[in-house]
Amino acid sequence: MAPKQDTPFRSADMSMVQLYISNEIGREVCNALGELGLVQFRDLNSELSAFQRAFTQDIRRLDNVERQLRYFHTQMEKAGIPLRKLDLDVDTLAPPTTTEIDELAERAQSLEQRVSSLNESYETLKKREVELTEWRWVLREAGGFFDRAHGNVEEIRASTDNDDAPLLQDVEQHNTAADVERSFSGMNIGFVAGVIGRDRVAAFERILWRTLRGNLYMNQAEIPEPLVDPTTNEPVLKNVFVIFAHGKEILAKIRRISESMGAEVYNVDENSDLRRDQVHEVNARLNDVQNVLRNTQQTLEAELSQISQSLSAWMILVSKEKAVYNTLNLFSYDRARRTLIAEGWCPTNDLPLIRSTLQDVNNRAGLSVPSIINEIRTNKTPPTYLKTNKFTEAFQTIVNAYGTATYQEVNPAIPVIVTFPFLFAVMFGDFGHAVIMLCAALAMIYWEKPLKKVTFELFAMVYYGRYIALVMAIFSVYTGLIYNDVFSKSMTLFDSQWKWVVPEHYKDGMTVKAELREPNGYRYPFGLDWRWHGTENDLLFSNSYKMKMSIILGWAHMTYSLCFSYINARHFKKPIDIWGNFVPGMIFFQSIFGYLVLCIIYKWSVDWFGTGRQPPGLLNMLIYMFLQPGTLDGGIALYPGQAKVQVILLLLAVIQVPILLFLKPFYLRWENNRARAKGYRNIGERSRVSALDDDDENGHTNGVHGDEGDDYEGAAMLTHDDHGDGEHGEFEFSEVMIHQVIHTIEFCLNCVSHTASYLRLWALSLAHQQLSAVLWSMTMEKALDTRGIGGAIFLVVAFAMFFVLSVIILIIMEGVSAMLHSLRLAWVESFSKFAEFGGWPFAPFSFKQQLEESEELREYMG
Amino acid sequence: MANGWSIIIGLVVVAGMCVAAWIFSPKGENQVLWRSSLILAFISCYLMWAITFLAQLHPLIEPRRSDLRKEYIHH
Repeated sequence: MAPKQDTPFRSADMSMVQLYISNEIGREVCNALGELGLVQFRDLNSELSAFQRAFTQDIRRLDNVERQLRYFHTQMEKAGIPLRKLDLDVDTLAPPTTTEIDELAERAQSLEQRVSSLNESYETLKKREVELTEWRWVLREAGGFFDRAHGNVEEIRASTDNDDAPLLQDVEQHNTAADVERSFSGMNIGFVAGVIGRDRVAAFERILWRTLRGNLYMNQAEIPEPLVDPTTNEPVLKNVFVIFAHGKEILAKIRRISESMGAEVYNVDENSDLRRDQVHEVNARLNDVQNVLRNTQQTLEAELSQISQSLSAWMILVSKEKAVYNTLNLFSYDRARRTLIAEGWCPTNDLPLIRSTLQDVNNRAGLSVPSIINEIRTNKTPPTYLKTNKFTEAFQTIVNAYGTATYQEVNPAIPVIVTFPFLFAVMFGDFGHAVIMLCAALAMIYWEKPLKKVTFELFAMVYYGRYIALVMAIFSVYTGLIYNDVFSKSMTLFDSQWKWVVPEHYKDGMTVKAELREPNGYRYPFGLDWRWHGTENDLLFSNSYKMKMSIILGWAHMTYSLCFSYINARHFKKPIDIWGNFVPGMIFFQSIFGYLVLCIIYKWSVDWFGTGRQPPGLLNMLIYMFLQPGTLDGGIALYPGQAKVQVILLLLAVIQVPILLFLKPFYLRWENNRARAKGYRNIGERSRVSALDDDDENGHTNGVHGDEGDDYEGAAMLTHDDHGDGEHGEFEFSEVMIHQVIHTIEFCLNCVSHTASYLRLWALSLAHQQLSAVLWSMTMEKALDTRGIGGAIFLVVAFAMFFVLSVIILIIMEGVSAMLHSLRLAWVESFSKFAEFGGWPFAPFSFKQQLEESEELREYMG
Repeated sequence: MANGWSIIIGLVVVAGMCVAAWIFSPKGENQVLWRSSLILAFISCYLMWAITFLAQLHPLIEPRRSDLRKEYIHH
């Protein structure tokens, strides 16, 4: 049997396969399959913890390499070296051999040592440099203090020695001791000089003052240029201080306090000649250090920029390699035969491709033992694999956001491609706004390649949905033409079907009515007649029209969706779903809402006034149909025999309820009983997947297993267990019944509430139109009324405002709101009619997907 | 030019377009996509046009306004 071609209509046929791979080429096979990205491997070692698995050592090693590469990256960022990004569309990376990976690991190791030793020496040197600079500042500033302080040694002495020295004494002493040339040491006054952060000065001073009880003389000066803190690399403002104090103990205390406050104390000589020598020495040393520092930095930068050329490629190689080993960890290893055994899901149609890939790898490795791929039978539910292309991808994503379709059921994204944008357009209908949106969508598609690189998140989201935007814009152009709205103004594309009846002696301000130009002939051919625009009863007409349109479109959408449930039931060969769900549901829906739609159309198509009849209200008609079957509202008939027809339809609808309720559960019970009577039993173990998982799957084997023997494939399966690992297997009538009761109640109530829900189409299109009318009247209309040069300037300003607000409020905000409402109509009103959403997504082992999804690797890829 | 028969004519035209879409959809795995999308789009658009046309076929109310200027009233 040749498998059918996979189409987007259903998820692809999947097969469970078993691979026997020779141990030596396990890595290569995995690599090739990762490039192919078509197999989802099952974990065959789920009983083992992460540490017990075979390839954990390799993963650890690669983790280390990855860490080293990240270290290089941070070093490069610190040094401001740009990373050469890898553009996977342009560059291709050949799958690495094991030796290449080993070399890479070794190289990363040695580079890391080199870079870190360079870094270390750089940091030491930097620290030395800062210290020397600080010292130089201390020498310079302290020198100034000394020169000044030598002038008033007496004062210092007096203020430290003598508590009750007169306050004004210094003034006198200043005069008397003008030529004092005495050293501090002679006076037994010592000093401490150093540097402290400017923000700590106040605290430092206070602490010193308190602990020494004021027995000190402190001098300080600000260092004008900020110094760089070597540990954090941030500039810090600092002060130089010199503290004079009396006595060794006090000086030692000051030193200790300075150190504890984070100040650096430097050695300064009090003799000015010695100090000069010191300054010279410091300058010389500083020069040396700076030279060495420059050299070190250059070497480091050269090293890093060399690394930057290939860092991205390495990073990607390593992460791929890691993924390969992680996958290999899922395989089971047969020690006796030295083979790896893997199991996984893959699309049936791609089996030949996978087979040939395996063959290729085998041939390249020159191995005599072939890799074997076997399809195995299973009753586990396969994953749902919906192939997408550039166009359908975004549509599929908005469907998958709701849920994953059941395996092989109709892909809900198929109708969504049209219905979602169309219902959006019904709400968004404005030609002008639609054209702007169309231009934006076309621009995004025209510059598809360059725009793909934009990483700005909000734009990336819009860009991802560019094809949705395109379809939405095209439909909006159409609905804009139908509504005859362009920025809330009308277009006179055709002759109107109306003409004004002008009374004689017409004066401005008189009310005029229109009449049909040809009562039985010409009608406005496309969209709404522009004569309605700006009339007093415009809303009266358009509300009635849009409301009815919403009901009709909703009815069409729901009927269409309901039909898919028929297709699903046929595909899964469940006729009971057709007779027990689809048919009664359809009759129920059509006999109420189908009838309503028919009445709406019939009422439109009859010339009521021409035949001299009164048109009945449809809303009341529907209400009376339920409340007082057999009577008509006010006795006005839409058509002869209406009362009878309505009673019949109502009965038809009511009869469907018990059918919906009971047919399916009782049929299932009957079927089950019949099968039991013939001697079939439930199969104790439902999932026989592989010899390998026998243990965990068959934990609850019943006695039935024994008499089945190996011929289990021949045994009839009573349970259609679609969920693979569900618990139940027995037929439970009560469960089926409850499920069906819920379904029935839900369906019948939803028919009403969902139809009402489509009225949002009317509400939002009304809101959109009115909002754009208000915007026009508040900006452009005012400007167009103003005359003269002021009017011209005003017009420019008003137009700018009009345009910007149109885009922001009417296109972006209203567009988003219409989109959300349309999304809801798709998710709730449409999907609830047919889709089960009981599947699980196919997540193949694929490098491409892995690279796309990884946040971490994004910065390495251009 | 356009009267009640337009609905039927439009239906025929759209039916023709649907048939053409069915026949001329490019072959391949996406054929079903082309067919369903094109036909659904045609029918949706027809439905909307037909509803709008029908709503104005036998109007129950007529436009009324009182802000017309004398010079433009005959347009």
